[in-house]
Amino acid sequence: MLSLLIAIPFLGALAVLLPVRTMFRVWFLFAISFVHAVGTASFWWRLPASEWQGYLTLDPLGLILLSVISLLFLSVSFFMIGYFQHEHRSNRIFTASILALLSTMTLVSVSYHMGLMWVAIETTTLFSAPLISFHRNWGTLEATWKYLLVCSVGIALALMGTFFLAISAHDVHTLLLPSILSGASSLSVNWLKLSVIFLFVGYGCKMGLAPMHSWKPEAYGQATGMVGVLMAGGLTQCSFLALMRVSQICYKTGLSDFYASILIVTGILSLVVPAILLLGEKKLKRSFAFSSVEHMGLLVLGLGLGGVGILGALFHMINNALAKVVMFLTAGSVAQKYGSSHATEVRGVIHIYPVTGILLIVSLLAGTGMFPFATFHSELLIINAAIISKHYVLAGGIILCLAIIFIGIARIVLEFVYGKPTEPVLDKKENFFINITIASAAVALIGFGLWMPAPLSRVLHDAVALIVG
Amino acid sequence: MMSWIDVSCILAVFLALTILATHRIVGMIKIIALQSFLLSFVPLFLHAEAISGRDIMLSGGTMVLKAVLVPAILFWTIRHISMRSEIKPIIGLGTSILCGAVLIAVAFWISLSLRLPGKFESSLVLPCSLATMLLGFMIMVTRTRAITQVLGYLVIENGIFLFASSLYDAMPMLIEMGILLDIFVAVFIMAIVLNHINEEFERTRSPVHRPKWGESQ
Repeated sequence: MLSLLIAIPFLGALAVLLPVRTMFRVWFLFAISFVHAVGTASFWWRLPASEWQGYLTLDPLGLILLSVISLLFLSVSFFMIGYFQHEHRSNRIFTASILALLSTMTLVSVSYHMGLMWVAIETTTLFSAPLISFHRNWGTLEATWKYLLVCSVGIALALMGTFFLAISAHDVHTLLLPSILSGASSLSVNWLKLSVIFLFVGYGCKMGLAPMHSWKPEAYGQATGMVGVLMAGGLTQCSFLALMRVSQICYKTGLSDFYASILIVTGILSLVVPAILLLGEKKLKRSFAFSSVEHMGLLVLGLGLGGVGILGALFHMINNALAKVVMFLTAGSVAQKYGSSHATEVRGVIHIYPVTGILLIVSLLAGTGMFPFATFHSELLIINAAIISKHYVLAGGIILCLAIIFIGIARIVLEFVYGKPTEPVLDKKENFFINITIASAAVALIGFGLWMPAPLSRVLHDAVALIVG
Repeated sequence: MMSWIDVSCILAVFLALTILATHRIVGMIKIIALQSFLLSFVPLFLHAEAISGRDIMLSGGTMVLKAVLVPAILFWTIRHISMRSEIKPIIGLGTSILCGAVLIAVAFWISLSLRLPGKFESSLVLPCSLATMLLGFMIMVTRTRAITQVLGYLVIENGIFLFASSLYDAMPMLIEMGILLDIFVAVFIMAIVLNHINEEFERTRSPVHRPKWGESQ
């Protein structure tokens, strides 16, 4: 079942390379995403058996990520139906890359071997690069290059970390996660520490944590909105799964304090840096990219603080993905209507496109974690964890940074929405597919904010238990 | 076969240092091809007394992908994008070599404090792979051309590969092949992006429409 879920999108990617009509590819992509979502939904009922001698195993941690990915692709493929009614560029490579990305991201969430996980995450980098340069111009090409280089080199460090882990697990003779965890007492601690540092820097680079975030504003700022969704909601969280796997090993070997200090320092840095940089930002998508750095920082902080923080981080994974759907798809819809996402060119959206204007406000509130959106709850859980573990200054710092980030994003979005329109726009049509996708993600986010379903709560608690051990 | 491994390790570092001293891109690619070719023998040297099918596969795969196909792609790229073959590093060639020598010393100094558990074939594997990696980073940061960054990346990967091939049982062959294939595809995609950048450069003739690298927002 698991290998089928990986194989179907991959075969689909090969199929869309055939010369067929643009809209056929889009509908085909939607169909495959739908099948993938149905398969994933069935796992909530019963977890599938391991395959390939335990290399592919789905546990609650993987299930959360897999569901997030499945939801993202479903919404993006639905959005694309509306998008490609106005876009006449060939989408052959684009749809093929998206399907291949779906396949490899599924592989990340089910891989139970640290080496296989590296291969899968590196492959996601490679398939996402062509997506950034869909509109081929200077900006996108430069962004693609930066993304490819920074992430490839970053992830090469993670490869080195994986080999250090292999040396540390010399007596275990394998990098299968259950074997490492059960043989945790035989791991060599010095090598493990070295490995943890390398793995963190490598995967953290892919996640876009603060000192390694330089590719993020470029890539998200230049890519179309839907690519932003897949990257900010999916790709970065795939790397977060790798960091959680490292966390599992650290908890078993008593290195959790060592790892936690790295996570907390990077986490707070990932809040401070966007808070400072956002104040001078003029472009919508770039400001959302900084918001993504902030959310990655929150995830890492939650994981580092432990206890209820881990629960918050896991819940935040889902909320962050949904919020990114709202934010980037709205930004993409604005960019398609105006041909720009620069604050000096887009003004007074609410006067011309009322629905898009409201969605912009919603994306501001959802992205910055306002009540009743679920992002509010998960951020509260993470701040709560800081207070419980007596990091009072840290908690205050988080709140201050979140407030500054809210001001920074609100400044841009409000100018977009309520500013004076610069010129009359002739085509005033709203697109059904686009708006329904964004609205349903927002509704889901409010839903999770008001009521958490019992199965979700159970899986989240199981996942926390897996990490803490 | 101990000595053969030592020789390959030292040669790998030596070749990485030679790249630092080279100012022609074609020459750099040739040296990287030679380095990859040399490193593809390491799995065979390591298990010289009982060479298994896995070693042969790994060695052959490395040779085909990294010593033949990757250089071929790079040569294709520089032919297509008609760039000047000479490059000017940020710091002079002599200074580069001096810095490279310091980096090698640092790598050896770091590996003094790291003890490899279990039986390892050669004490030179760890310091030499670290030195090759550091030199790769040095190539990346001191050369300003886009393609030289790819070359630096390849040198880093060669350093990691040298280290990886000394770990026998942790990685199944399929995954090692996956790693190799990933690196190959990475270079392939980088070459395509370079080509697109060049096309875009040719298309936008007017310098007014052409933002300088790093300035487009």
